[in-house]
Amino acid sequence: MNKLYLLALLAGTRVAIETSEVEAVVKLTDISPVPGMGAHVAGLSALRSRVLTVIDVAALIRGEPTPPDRRGFAVIADIAGHSYGLMVDAVYDICQVSEGELPLRGQLDPAWLPHARGLVEHEGQPHLLVSLAGFIEAGALAHVA
Amino acid sequence: MDELLQEFISETQETLEALAGEVVAWEADPADRDRLDAIFRFFHTVKGSCGFLNLPRFERLSHAAEDVLAEIRADRRSADPATVSAVLGIMDRIAELAEAVSLGTALPHENDDYLIAALSEKEEDEAVLPEAESAPVAVARQQGNGQAAPRTIRLPLSLIDQLMNGVSDMVLARNELSRKLRERTGDPELESAFERLSTCVADMRDAISKTRMQRVDRLFTAIPRMVRDLGRELGKRIDLLLEGGDVEMDREMVEMVVDPLTHIVRNSIDHGIETPEKRRALGKSEAGRLKLEARQSGNQIVIEISDDGQGIDTGRLVGKAIAAGRLTPESAARMSEAEKLDLIFHPGLSTADQVTAISGRGVGMDVVRANVERIGGVISLDNRPGRGLTIMLRVPLTLTIIPGLIVRAGGLHFAIPRAAVVEILHDNNETLHIAEVGGAKIATIRSIRHSMIDLEDVLGMEKPAQTGPRAVMVVRSATGVPFAMGVSAVDNHEELVIRPASPLVMATGVYAGMTLPDNGKPMLLLDAAGLANAARLPNILDDRAAREAEEAVDVQGVEMVPALRFEEYSGERRLLKLSLIERVEDVDAHLFGRSGGRAYVRLDDRLVPVANGHHSFVGEKVAALRLRDGTRDVCYPVAAVLDIVDMPAVPDMIAMHGTLSGVVVIDGEHLEVVNPFALFAALPDEPIREKGRGRCLLADSEDGWTREILAPLLRQAGHEVVLGLPADAPVDPQDVVLFSGADLSQASELLGCRVVHLRASPRPSSPQDGSIYRYDQDALMAALAGSRG
Repeated sequence: MNKLYLLALLAGTRVAIETSEVEAVVKLTDISPVPGMGAHVAGLSALRSRVLTVIDVAALIRGEPTPPDRRGFAVIADIAGHSYGLMVDAVYDICQVSEGELPLRGQLDPAWLPHARGLVEHEGQPHLLVSLAGFIEAGALAHVA
Repeated sequence: MDELLQEFISETQETLEALAGEVVAWEADPADRDRLDAIFRFFHTVKGSCGFLNLPRFERLSHAAEDVLAEIRADRRSADPATVSAVLGIMDRIAELAEAVSLGTALPHENDDYLIAALSEKEEDEAVLPEAESAPVAVARQQGNGQAAPRTIRLPLSLIDQLMNGVSDMVLARNELSRKLRERTGDPELESAFERLSTCVADMRDAISKTRMQRVDRLFTAIPRMVRDLGRELGKRIDLLLEGGDVEMDREMVEMVVDPLTHIVRNSIDHGIETPEKRRALGKSEAGRLKLEARQSGNQIVIEISDDGQGIDTGRLVGKAIAAGRLTPESAARMSEAEKLDLIFHPGLSTADQVTAISGRGVGMDVVRANVERIGGVISLDNRPGRGLTIMLRVPLTLTIIPGLIVRAGGLHFAIPRAAVVEILHDNNETLHIAEVGGAKIATIRSIRHSMIDLEDVLGMEKPAQTGPRAVMVVRSATGVPFAMGVSAVDNHEELVIRPASPLVMATGVYAGMTLPDNGKPMLLLDAAGLANAARLPNILDDRAAREAEEAVDVQGVEMVPALRFEEYSGERRLLKLSLIERVEDVDAHLFGRSGGRAYVRLDDRLVPVANGHHSFVGEKVAALRLRDGTRDVCYPVAAVLDIVDMPAVPDMIAMHGTLSGVVVIDGEHLEVVNPFALFAALPDEPIREKGRGRCLLADSEDGWTREILAPLLRQAGHEVVLGLPADAPVDPQDVVLFSGADLSQASELLGCRVVHLRASPRPSSPQDGSIYRYDQDALMAALAGSRG
């Protein structure tokens, strides 16, 4: 019950991310595009001396890239030895949730189905529990497909 | 406890690695107490630690080995090969156990008793073993094995990586600070403080990058053991020489080179070095020599593996290639020796008659080359049939810094390894012709057709409108055929720090990594082979066959030779056989001169005759052809170098006059062919010597006055001074010999040049005395000038 969750808005949906996965949240600056990749890879961005691979999660889910002027924040995560930045629309809070992880309820949008692992409720609002590593895996699959 | 165990395991593993070589060296020289002690200490330490850590199997094994070694130390036993093998066997088992413990898997349940029994067993066989076999491998190391190892500590790699990242961050922060400081007005105090910080950061970066380096010794540790085991197995005797173990290279690089190196050494022992009987019959020493040498050359590490075995039998290689249907006998007949040798790198070809356990297991030199090239290295061979083979590996100092070209395409910058680029042209170059057929682009460069792609197309980018010409680069990947790639421009040449890109990006197959230049904008490194794959370029190896067929047609017709088409200052267009031209270079016009009716040019501090007599030019630079007949150089200034064409070896019309041999028609143009025979025949016989530059030979080179007072005086006066008489070189008639002793007066007459005798007293000793007082500067200079007549 004492897990911390990062609550964010992603592709218009409220999500929760376990903070153990999150390294930092930064405001995105310059992104150098990577031509030849699907829309879900927004490009590369330098964070101090590290190079982040920026994933446009909204594009991964909805299939439509986020326009450059609406790029806001990125959640930084270190996955399998590489640094990624996952684009989110907004970040609200980091908090504990009293009830912990809940099973999924209701008919989920098929676009979200592969990513949602459960529900987290905070201040009466349900949030989809998602995993950053899951997005990266999905991104790799999206390229193969 | 876990930590202790982990420490013990990694220490044991590391010592084992280092020790394998020691055991082999000790076998070669059983009297070497230091080595024996080192090995004994190892087992003793293992025994002690594992008693504490409760590892009974380790304890039993090391105890048994320690016992045997103790007996040897007490001279109650000798270190015969069987004992050494048994000790090595125990070391191997300890290594296996250590591996198992570190992985947390079950210990392999093999019979340790057998190994321990082997230790005590051989006493009976001892007499049977012939004396000659007792030392199959002699190991010599150039650099200090006897020295005490420097003090070291153990650090996790992740910590070092963290440090590296930290320092990189620091460098970036420093750069930003420096930018900010420049924007403000200069405060010298602040600037000097910042300067100091900069130096510290730079030093720190250097020091940290050294932590990535590892001595090549680590690469060599496993070699003596392997050579010994293979030598015994194959009944060969090998003298192993390891040199340059103290050269340092990138830790990751060491890992990458281990496999190719091991393979080459195996090959060399299996196929290269002959059996002692055969070597005796061939008049070679019974023990084959195998030498591994590492050295640093610029930003490359050169690893040379040479043996004095039988070398590569190219004839047999060609035979195999023909038998395998990879080569037609006709094309084989046309191959040069180097091309034949190159066949060793083709998959599935090996000179081994049969597959042995040691090599020839389908992992051939093709894999070795591929591995070496993957890390940006080059492999080359020096084959001396019957006398040996030298294989040279050139690998970059580190994996992470490579020379690269920055290219621009679709408004973005990309890097490409410099090694992958063969040449760069602008698309308005006359030697380049781009044709399009059925959507495919073909770039013909000097009559070689390349597949052509535009980088923007492969990467799916827009091609922005461009005013200037685009750049076309001929790109060659480690595998596959070269292709032409169009980009907006080639911007820059830089040393790039390459880091791996995330798997997501790598999955595209067209990128090999990424780099973060100073401007803070990440840049992708292109993968040449990947681009060719992505563009689905035909990667046909029979391109060579096609070329050979083309050549064959030519041979049946008229024999053609490549020739350089150029324009003379007089405006005529002429041809000169390409093979005669050593190089074409731009020479400063002021270096040309004329003397004694002959034109010459001063190149690399030598006077080189000018073939067509031109010596004064308009403009600063002169395009000149450098020709060479094997011994003499000629410079041939031309108005313009046009291109390379094929001309018939015999001119269409023979018309010998002057330096011309005839006329050929190429592309409807009549061109005169320069006759190289006449060109060199017309040269002055003697090399041109500059006038007025005779040397002053100082006979008494030991004399302090001559050396300290006379020589500087003469040099200031513009004379070339040579201390001492040239030992055996002829003395030029223009030289002057100066001496002060009397003893040389006769000998100097034999030299056939003018002599100036100096005396120490102001007055001549006799009226006949032709010598000059040594402080009479005017007389001395006059004598020197007079002798030049």
